Amino acid sequence: MSISPNPRIAQDDDFELIRAINAGQSGLFPELLRRYERKLYNFGMRMCRDVQDTEDMVQDTFINVFNYLKDFRYETKFKNWLYRIATGTCLKQKRKSKYAPERELSLEEFIPDEKARMATQVPEWASLPLEQLLNEELSSLIKEGIASLPEKYRLVLVLRDMEEFDTAETARILGLTPENIKVRLHRARLFLREKLKAYYDHDA
Amino acid sequence: MTMTPDHEHKDCLAMFAKLSEYIDNELDEPARKEIEDHAGVCLPCRACLETLRQTINMYKKLTSYQKQVPETFSKRLKGLIQKLPLEK
Repeated sequence: MSISPNPRIAQDDDFELIRAINAGQSGLFPELLRRYERKLYNFGMRMCRDVQDTEDMVQDTFINVFNYLKDFRYETKFKNWLYRIATGTCLKQKRKSKYAPERELSLEEFIPDEKARMATQVPEWASLPLEQLLNEELSSLIKEGIASLPEKYRLVLVLRDMEEFDTAETARILGLTPENIKVRLHRARLFLREKLKAYYDHDA
Repeated sequence: MTMTPDHEHKDCLAMFAKLSEYIDNELDEPARKEIEDHAGVCLPCRACLETLRQTINMYKKLTSYQKQVPETFSKRLKGLIQKLPLEK
């Protein structure tokens, strides 16, 4: 359960707490739970969507953390290690998933068509304030779009753009190369852009 | 994307592949400048860039709110953890 060391990281706010727990003060474990429970729950809701699956994921993740914390090597931020366990748990669960089917997204499928090539102006929605754009209909459309992303793309989008891990951290969490993360993120974003573009084109 | 006397189609495709890295500020200075120069003369590519940037803004804003953990689940989880046997 260890992940590749990142020599740039020397400090983490959680290290002191983890050292105390590992030195025998296991009564402090609920503090670790308190720090990350909400984050993991929200991550679960973004990945699993289903409340029961989310609760199972959070519970299994914390049980694993409890069991393997003694192996934590202080070479990476605790949060990154935690998310590596959480994504592993999530992926195991998702094999039984009823959500988006797995498929590859290719860059080619998002290359603008002939109509877009003839554009004479940047679409208005690209510059309107978000408060003006995010009505109920569009919010549902975006949420559905995220849910319909094939899992391996959604996972990268959630980690990078919602959980705010950088490319290198996401690569280490998922055991992929940074290049791979960039490719998946770009395609996931283009996939969502297509949904919005279709909505506005239809509206036009 | 468009083919105009200012640039070639392959430049559009090269730019299209790098839009996210540009938005995330992950490109080196020459690559960054290349995109900016291209977007300056190619309106369809600029439209792609701006709509992609806005797409990201929209879903980030929409998912920025962190839900509360249901209290019953939180209590159950804490209880469960406290009952786990310590591994030596």
